[in-house]
Amino acid sequence: MFNLIGSAINGVKHALGGLYQVKRGLETVAMHTWREPTTEAYPDKAPELPPHFRGRLALTVNPETGENLCISCRQCERVCPDKCIEITANKSTETNKLELIDFKIDHGLCMFCGLCTEVCPTYCIINTNDFEMADYTRSSLIYDLKKLTLTQEESAYYFAAKEMPLPKPKPAKPAAPAAGAAAAKPAAEAKPTATVSPKPAPESAKAPETTADKPAKEVEKKESPSTDTPSVN
Amino acid sequence: MKIDGTVVRGDHFSGNIAEIRKFAVMSLSWLTVIFVAVWGVCWALGIFIPMCLANSSFDFAAILSEVCKALTPIAAVLVFIPINAMFMVLMERRALALFTRRNGPNRVGPDGALQTAADAVKLLLKEDITPTGADALMFTLAPIIFFAPSIFGALPLLAAVTNNHKLFQIVDLPTGIFYVLAASSVPVVGIVMGGWASNNKYSLMGGLRSAAQAISYEIPLVLSLVTICLLAGTLDVVSIAYQQSGGLLNWNILGGGALIGLNKAIAALVSSSGAPFAEVMNAYYPYGWLSFVGAAVLCMCTVILFGVYLIGACAEINRIPFDLPEAESELVSGYNTEYSGIKFAIFFLAEFTNLFIVSTIAVVMFLGSGDCPLPTWLNPLSYPAVYEPLAKALSPVLSVLINDLHLINPPTFWAALWVIFKTYSLIFFAILVRGTLPRFRIDQLMDFGWKRLIPITLVIFVLVAFARGVINFHV
Amino acid sequence: MTIQTKLPEFKTDEMVINLGPQHPATHGVLRLILTLDGEVVKHTEPVLGHLHRAQEWQGQNRTWFQYQALIDRVDYLSGMFTSWALSRAAEVIDGTEVPRRAEFLRVLCAELNRISSHLLWLGTYLIDLGALYGFPFYPFIEREKILTFFEEISGQRMMYNYIRIGGVQRDPKAEWFKKVEEFTKDFPKRVDEWEAIVTENPIFLNRTKGIGVLTKEVAQAYGVTGPTLRASGIDFDLRRFKPYSVYPELKFDVPVYNKDGDTWDRYMARIQEMRQSIEIIKQVLDMIPEGEIMSKKQNAGLRIKAGEGFAAVESPRGILGCYITSNGSDKPYRFRWRNPSFSNLSVLPPLLEERPISDIMAIFGSLDIILPDVDR
Repeated sequence: MFNLIGSAINGVKHALGGLYQVKRGLETVAMHTWREPTTEAYPDKAPELPPHFRGRLALTVNPETGENLCISCRQCERVCPDKCIEITANKSTETNKLELIDFKIDHGLCMFCGLCTEVCPTYCIINTNDFEMADYTRSSLIYDLKKLTLTQEESAYYFAAKEMPLPKPKPAKPAAPAAGAAAAKPAAEAKPTATVSPKPAPESAKAPETTADKPAKEVEKKESPSTDTPSVN
Repeated sequence: MKIDGTVVRGDHFSGNIAEIRKFAVMSLSWLTVIFVAVWGVCWALGIFIPMCLANSSFDFAAILSEVCKALTPIAAVLVFIPINAMFMVLMERRALALFTRRNGPNRVGPDGALQTAADAVKLLLKEDITPTGADALMFTLAPIIFFAPSIFGALPLLAAVTNNHKLFQIVDLPTGIFYVLAASSVPVVGIVMGGWASNNKYSLMGGLRSAAQAISYEIPLVLSLVTICLLAGTLDVVSIAYQQSGGLLNWNILGGGALIGLNKAIAALVSSSGAPFAEVMNAYYPYGWLSFVGAAVLCMCTVILFGVYLIGACAEINRIPFDLPEAESELVSGYNTEYSGIKFAIFFLAEFTNLFIVSTIAVVMFLGSGDCPLPTWLNPLSYPAVYEPLAKALSPVLSVLINDLHLINPPTFWAALWVIFKTYSLIFFAILVRGTLPRFRIDQLMDFGWKRLIPITLVIFVLVAFARGVINFHV
Repeated sequence: MTIQTKLPEFKTDEMVINLGPQHPATHGVLRLILTLDGEVVKHTEPVLGHLHRAQEWQGQNRTWFQYQALIDRVDYLSGMFTSWALSRAAEVIDGTEVPRRAEFLRVLCAELNRISSHLLWLGTYLIDLGALYGFPFYPFIEREKILTFFEEISGQRMMYNYIRIGGVQRDPKAEWFKKVEEFTKDFPKRVDEWEAIVTENPIFLNRTKGIGVLTKEVAQAYGVTGPTLRASGIDFDLRRFKPYSVYPELKFDVPVYNKDGDTWDRYMARIQEMRQSIEIIKQVLDMIPEGEIMSKKQNAGLRIKAGEGFAAVESPRGILGCYITSNGSDKPYRFRWRNPSFSNLSVLPPLLEERPISDIMAIFGSLDIILPDVDR
């Protein structure tokens, strides 16, 4: 009999304890009503992304002069684990330097690891804060040089935000169409960000073969914004 | 993203006021739309058309007006159910968003108020898929059998929640609550049928779980309501609603009428006219302390019964924490795994309608139906000195509406307002529970039903039967 | 709680059911072939490999520099730890001395990552138990903050590639440390709230107490590690058992729960681990020195000396080990991962025997499996 009463009392205690715990839970959940929503109104309000966010890849230009910073060293092309970068470069017959013809990145393949941006000696290829790349076809995800190149203002923003050293103003060279051998020396001196050992050697060996086939006009068109791009370094 | 600082209760009180305001505005506007629409249909069909026909010399005018009147309750329910389900889904989503620090749907319409309307359109336009190997007839019948009882089950409650409005007296049965309970036990057949006909093992398990659950929880549910009927002495929902009028102390949740005497005695004390306090107390509680003990026992019992009813109702309509038939994490989606398009929409509609109906039953049976919680002696409007000038001031405007067009029926209006408030409060509580509690396991659910709830209700039934003998209820 | 399964009068057939690979609660693409008697599991057969991506083979065909960026995908909820295991193994072979600041940063990020991983587990575990609509959002709100920290220092929210061979990638700014400090002050209160909602909730207790009891012997026999092992009463944590990095200098408890090894203990073990991680982070924020963060140049030609080595870290799921053979070239010669999820998953079939379907989710969720970590 006492057992029965004892177990009944225990049962009541148990039930009341359970009810109290449920009440605590309900109360805690209900109190969340008074807190602000943490939802980000994304399409209405773009999220504030940190400067090092690894978004869409892009090519910077010199914020002051607007010239393309790529030196066609192909470091990014080689380091890319997905092989999504494709650089077409041409060895100029006049300067004996690599001239960038086209730069293609397949953003459908890219996994945004940012390795290419780490190896780039001139801080040319960077991850931007843009992530809205949705498109209707795979082929339209392949960005070419024109689509990749940022404007001067954007480049200036990213150079400041990512705290990258600004490219040194190119050495004033009145004799732009100088002979290739002569131009090689100033390039070596002017190398502003020598983080990587001079790797482009293998390319310069290959490049002359392709140079012969390509018409020089095409090269000129591409480099139209600044006539003496090849002499950046 | 900013880091929010220390959040102590209260210091963020104004933090989310904008969202709460949106929620309130959304709810109020939807409720207005719902009840204006329902009452508009009722008034047009039950009052306006017969009024027009009364003056005509048309042969079948009398018959036609009778037909119209007879159709009114069904029209009311049919208009009410879809709109209400849309609102409840929206309310649930917005409320859960409030609890979980989100915004909730806010794209379609002003602040997302039309989101569920858009969802309904989408569901109706979706392809209706019958899986290979399914029993097509059963598969199609299941949602109908699931849904139909919620229409029929709602009818007898109409009179109780509108203060016995004459339009709805036609569906007022002397065995009202019995009929409602009978209707509410049919949907499980639909679930079992759907689960079996889907030709899917998850659905089958969901269906069988539902059958087991419904059988187990019907018993405490019915026992709790039967105990209330025992106290009330009737099965008629309108009578039960009327017995509870006159303030909080008369409600069934507080002793099922055991405190009526106290209420009357205090009223006598306050008004200082009529019988003295002690005399009234003696009339209602004739056995002295024994009667008071009886009243206390009754109060305790009915509060527990209310809890048992809420638990049983939650289980009956498969709400969290008893949503085992459609346990997402276990049975994918349970009995409605294979349903899509309009059939799924009907299941969905019926679930929310059932939630509304069980809340309404709780309001009618326990919470005084359309009664103001303030006892009459506390309610300023019940004193002629306050009420009459107010009525006089408003009469020129309202008399046309009330007396000529019968567009507003004041007792019905106030009763309906209170019922709406109480019912949606219960629904809000159900949403809060949904946002907090995890799910039972099936065998624990059975244990809880058979080993806890049923013994408790049986003991309470016996206690109530004895305790009711020591108190005079309705002198 | 025993479940009566056999009725002598009736003959019933067993039902074979495929739980997964497409199922809301298998946390990815695990397939369980269940033999059911009614709702009771008679036999379980996990089928693995739906997410096999040949991570080890990929490692052997990528340069060191490239593979560092890939390994976050092995255990996507705790990328810092996979990076750390690889880096430590490579450093063991190479004999690289990691700068002190980098070590502290590694501990800081790893503990933050441990919290974020446990937070995701907490949310999804409650989903598994059926609290689908309210509670799971709360841990995710906090996790979002941690991911924002990671986004700021590494650039992404999941694939950090932050811990590198020889150090860490980027030195955070002073404001970042301030934000983390604010977070550490706020976070324990949030944990208190979650515990108020969940820990003592009677339904939660019913679902977890005494369910899926993993005894010491079974746990040891199957090579279970991490909080799952510690919940079974074995005090085994690499951070203390074989201290690495700067852990010997830090004071922290390794919560060992109790005695039963049921799902509730595993839940509590993780909750307590989060609190301990916050303590570690607080200490690290106080102790972190100034200085270099990288001792090995990160470039495409990153090379490791010839040799072989093994290193393991205590990841949120257990011991995450990495065995490497290097032949001195820019590509590793042989890779081998020791994934905690794989061993922890192997204990599932014995735990599920004679349990009802609902317990599958309660037990499986409590083991905290990441399927890419199982399948690699």
